[in-house]
Amino acid sequence: MRKSKEFDNILNECLERLLIKGETIEQCLKSYPEQANKLEPLLKTALTAKKVSAIQPRPEFRARARYQFHSTLRELEAKRSRRFFGWQPRWVTAVAVVLILLLVGSGTVAAASNNMPDEPLYPVKLATEQVRLKLAPSDLDKAQLYAGLADKRVLEIARMANKGKPELVERTAQRLDNYLTMIASLVSTQKERAGVLMAPPPTKAPGPLGASDKTVPTKQANRRAKLKAVVASYAIQHPAALQDALNKAPESAKPALRRAIAILTADYEKALKAVGE
Amino acid sequence: MQDEENLVRRAQQQNEEAFTQLYEEYFDKIYRYITLKIGNQTEAEDLTQQVFVKALQSISSFRWKGIPFSAWLFRIAHNQVVDYFRKEKKYTTTPLDESLRDGAIDPQLAVEQKLDIEQLILATKQLTKAQREVISLRFAGELPIAQVARIMGKSEGAVKAL
Repeated sequence: MRKSKEFDNILNECLERLLIKGETIEQCLKSYPEQANKLEPLLKTALTAKKVSAIQPRPEFRARARYQFHSTLRELEAKRSRRFFGWQPRWVTAVAVVLILLLVGSGTVAAASNNMPDEPLYPVKLATEQVRLKLAPSDLDKAQLYAGLADKRVLEIARMANKGKPELVERTAQRLDNYLTMIASLVSTQKERAGVLMAPPPTKAPGPLGASDKTVPTKQANRRAKLKAVVASYAIQHPAALQDALNKAPESAKPALRRAIAILTADYEKALKAVGE
Repeated sequence: MQDEENLVRRAQQQNEEAFTQLYEEYFDKIYRYITLKIGNQTEAEDLTQQVFVKALQSISSFRWKGIPFSAWLFRIAHNQVVDYFRKEKKYTTTPLDESLRDGAIDPQLAVEQKLDIEQLILATKQLTKAQREVISLRFAGELPIAQVARIMGKSEGAVKAL
């Protein structure tokens, strides 16, 4: 039992040296020659297992899987709404908009639009945004909306940090994280649906001599380009804005703000990759 | 990742954002886990998609009874692998040229990855079923020892000893 525990400790130490410190198997075996026969196959397996952990799905498969995932999500949502109301989701959402306006008043909804996370009408602001998202006619429109909402969240994060409210910084940063993830996901889904990734470009018959070969950009391509420009611009502005807020924020808010900046930077990397592909 | 419990609850209420976050978090890990279990990246693609479709369809049945969401999701993946072997009735890998489809970014990388997977499968043939599962969850699934232990229903010490 004692010998087995000793070997476990040696194995753990060698695994750490191999996988974290980047030493070679030979270096580990030199330290423990008596256990070399037992150690070597285990360390080789661990090293191979580490290589396997670097395997990534093919980009085409990733895009196709995302498209299927979002399609299935929408199908399930549509089924549930029909089961409950017997109406299509858009009818339900349009009725919800009318109800919200009647209940809270269009003035309240308007007043809520500039509310901050620590103000009473902030939930109305979020609810109105969700309704706009539900009514978005396409994935690109939705992605554009999310980009606009990300801009609002950044402003809110900066304000909450300035007021020394780290919990609200965290909560708002979580929403921002969701929105940027959605942008990347929606753009990939839209591309898959448009067949950008799957279909090769059609071969064109040669036109008459001297004729221009310029293809008229499609509406979708223009909107994608617009979204790409917006995301690229925000990818620079937003981290800079939060960095500026970090310099001015009280100490209590700084850890939460630093985490928000890290999340934002990583998310914009993914979003830029999605819109730029 | 954000508080996972909060995300799962929101996903159970059909929140698209929450679902998407969970999907993005686990997609690569599930893919690698399945690839390592069946030794075939091409087949793993179909199975990975099936895992998330099943998860979407049955997330409302998931209950937080001290079992993490990852355990539930990897259980779905495990069951897909079991069904796959049942249908295949043997442990096979795809001949090399079939796995190099159109669209493979780097055929050499694909070859190297395939060799790494085969090497690992060969190396782990000497191990017990439990030990192989630990390697799949730990390295392919990138799960910490605590989560591996909970998925397997063992203590952390027992998993380390494996």
